[in-house]
Amino acid sequence: MIAPQDRYEPAPGTAPLVQLKGIAKYFPGVAANQDVDLEVLPGEIHALLGENGAGKSTLMNILTGIYQPDAGEIVIDGYAREFASPLEAIAAGIGMVHQHFKLVPAFTVAENIHLGWSETPRLASARKLEARTRALAQRFNLHVRADALVSELSTGEQQRVEILRVLARQARVLILDEPTAVLTPAEARALFKALREFASRGNAVIFISHKLEEVLEISDRITILRGGRRIATHDAAECNHRMLARLMVGREIVLADMRQRPVGAAPRSAAPVLRLESVSALNDGGNTALHDVTLDVHAGEIVGVAGVAGNGQRELSQVLTGLRRTKSGRIIVDGTPLQAAGAAEFGELGIGHIPEDRLRSGLAPSMSVATNAVMREYKKPPIGTGGLFRSRAATMLAREIAKAADVSVPDFSMPVRNLSGGNQQRLVARREMRIAHKVLVAAYPSRGLDVGAINTMLRYIVELRDAGAGIVLISEELEELLNLSDRIVVLYEGRLMGALDNERIDVEQIGLLMGGRALQQEAA
Amino acid sequence: MRQGLRLQRLPSVQPGVALGMRALAIAIVVLAASLVLLAAGEDPLALGAQLVTATFSSTFGMEDFGLLVIPLILTGLSVAVGQQVGAWNIGAEGQFLLGAFAATTVGLFVPGPAVLILPLMIAAGALGGLVWILVPTLARAFAGVNELITTLLLNFVAALLVYYVSTGPWRDRVGMSNSSTARITVEVPEFWGLVHWGLPIAIVMALAAAATLAFSRWGYEVRLSGSNPSAAAYAGIAVRRHIVTVMLLSGLIAGVAGAFELAGTVHRLQGGISNNFGYLGIMVAVLARNSCVGVIFTGTLMAFILNSGIILQTQGITTSAVLAMTGAILFLTAIGDELAHYRIARAGARGS
Repeated sequence: MIAPQDRYEPAPGTAPLVQLKGIAKYFPGVAANQDVDLEVLPGEIHALLGENGAGKSTLMNILTGIYQPDAGEIVIDGYAREFASPLEAIAAGIGMVHQHFKLVPAFTVAENIHLGWSETPRLASARKLEARTRALAQRFNLHVRADALVSELSTGEQQRVEILRVLARQARVLILDEPTAVLTPAEARALFKALREFASRGNAVIFISHKLEEVLEISDRITILRGGRRIATHDAAECNHRMLARLMVGREIVLADMRQRPVGAAPRSAAPVLRLESVSALNDGGNTALHDVTLDVHAGEIVGVAGVAGNGQRELSQVLTGLRRTKSGRIIVDGTPLQAAGAAEFGELGIGHIPEDRLRSGLAPSMSVATNAVMREYKKPPIGTGGLFRSRAATMLAREIAKAADVSVPDFSMPVRNLSGGNQQRLVARREMRIAHKVLVAAYPSRGLDVGAINTMLRYIVELRDAGAGIVLISEELEELLNLSDRIVVLYEGRLMGALDNERIDVEQIGLLMGGRALQQEAA
Repeated sequence: MRQGLRLQRLPSVQPGVALGMRALAIAIVVLAASLVLLAAGEDPLALGAQLVTATFSSTFGMEDFGLLVIPLILTGLSVAVGQQVGAWNIGAEGQFLLGAFAATTVGLFVPGPAVLILPLMIAAGALGGLVWILVPTLARAFAGVNELITTLLLNFVAALLVYYVSTGPWRDRVGMSNSSTARITVEVPEFWGLVHWGLPIAIVMALAAAATLAFSRWGYEVRLSGSNPSAAAYAGIAVRRHIVTVMLLSGLIAGVAGAFELAGTVHRLQGGISNNFGYLGIMVAVLARNSCVGVIFTGTLMAFILNSGIILQTQGITTSAVLAMTGAILFLTAIGDELAHYRIARAGARGS
């Protein structure tokens, strides 16, 4: 909790830093915002809470000049303003860190920080820009590698670059869109501390989130959006989980321990169904990303993989599904070592995969829903007999998957990108569950989803576990890992930091392992 | 509060709108050409009427037109097939020339009955086109070298090769021609008037390609590989193998086009035999939005434009005018494709 004396007290009569009045924004077929009022005072951290599609991001895109409102007014420091572009908004002191980072992957961190910034020296060598970046990093206490290419960074590192870029431009209002999704609890606490300090100098933070816990922890006031409209604004001190959840989704939702097996569920098998034996693998850059990883996955259990993004999770999920060759070590499925098997063989063996980035690798966004739904079963009858592709059978299977996923698809020939993120993820999950007889590797299955969709996704995973599959659940959400996993392993710099039985688990211990502390203890 | 009309960008394009934009692009170009002709003191309406009658009212005109349709469908198909795996085959021109060259080699130097030689010539043409795209294909698949540059550059090599043999070692010494080989006696049989069997074969090839892509497992894998290579790899599809196969197929089709042009229409290898068909094939494919069935229609349209150029030439208007027109159509189509993404909406309106 924050001590009251830390709070910045604006002088009486000070105008709010930001006032939005009656904002509306329409997209074809959707009213993304309607009649939204928002007031952000100097010195406050104001949370914007809502499900996916509640209109949080649209509202902030309007405030930062990316979109123009179809109706309503933006008032900054008491003066009505119009931002034709994000540059004008940043000049007025409003900076945003987006959920989907707006960085140039082929540029270095230093180049990204200095891109489109009036204070960038006209003639500056790469070394000079990097030195300036290091100085900024130190000043704002955000560790970044100034000379690294953004494409080589993990999601967490990219976020730090984004935040640093905004802070460097002397923002007075810092908008953060789901900032903690890629941070460890310790990192999140460090971020909160930095935000609090930033606000205490008379600045303001707008904090977009759908996580109740952190919203209650960090914010002074909370505005809840639902269906594009403002539902309520409350002082955080007056709020609790239950009430916020109800306001947010319009119904009560409780995330609970899902480790209990129902009667008739498949028991945990004695022998592992999938075993990694001293596996090492390289990343795309040719550096070792996995060091000597040994991991057993038994049928009917969920193994949680915790860790900060960029510590080898990507490579681990790819090795487990045949997408990445190992450098050394063995992969054993049902007691048989696999030799030179690729993704097709892993799929045929009954290993499903919910990939980290569904749009980049799990789906072909511009192709039809039917085409995408049958990606795992197009070789099998009734779709793929005799080298044919029977599109009618494909549509029928797609319909079946969509029904199981509870996604209503008006037209199976429309591009899959027209579906919402949550619907896409449910389709991918259901598609993979159909083939995952042995193992399902689920990488960040709830990333970017709202509470309701996360609940559905986790229910699917539990359902598959009870049907007798082994699950590898890679996640950044500790709560999710604790609620689901029978065992938790922690990845740190490509090494497995030991397995913890969920019965006697200590959250602080996981946090320490995620920060690589166990290694130091061993060394000592 | 703002009022007035503004543009909204749509995530996906309605096929009808896209098609309409294409028709509009062609209409604008025809209108612009008419204005130019008017300014030059010609009567565009009379010329237009003449074009239509000259092409469609005489068997002779129809035959000329039909002969142009064959290579344009095939080179368009070649480019459209390459696009299925996301490859730009700008080298259909060179593969066409190599196809004609290879067919000539067989026609000039392999003795035997026409029944055997003709299929051999076409097969040699296919092989020639395939060989000509082999290096760009392997460079793309295994080294990530952009095929746009490599296929384009090989066109010039192919053109020089054909010029060299047709004006040098293979020059027709009997007929006193200094710029082409002797007439090759083996011919593709005629199908209707002067139009040879290349026409139905080209149409069947386009339909077969479309059917294979839509209704075979291989076609599914190819389409997925072209649409999102990482999703295809995730599904266990050998993306690289498909890139190789499809690009080779693209070159093969252009080679067949060259062989048909030689054995069906021109009968002698000569420098200008490709007649820009390879480059026009890019336009045919773009206008058809890379649809293999679509190239049958856009190839026919392009043939009409080309044929019009030849007719206009007899009226003292240079063929460059027609090239300029095709270029303008392509240019406006690209703009139209982008515009098809937008719709006009009233700002400040309530509801959806």
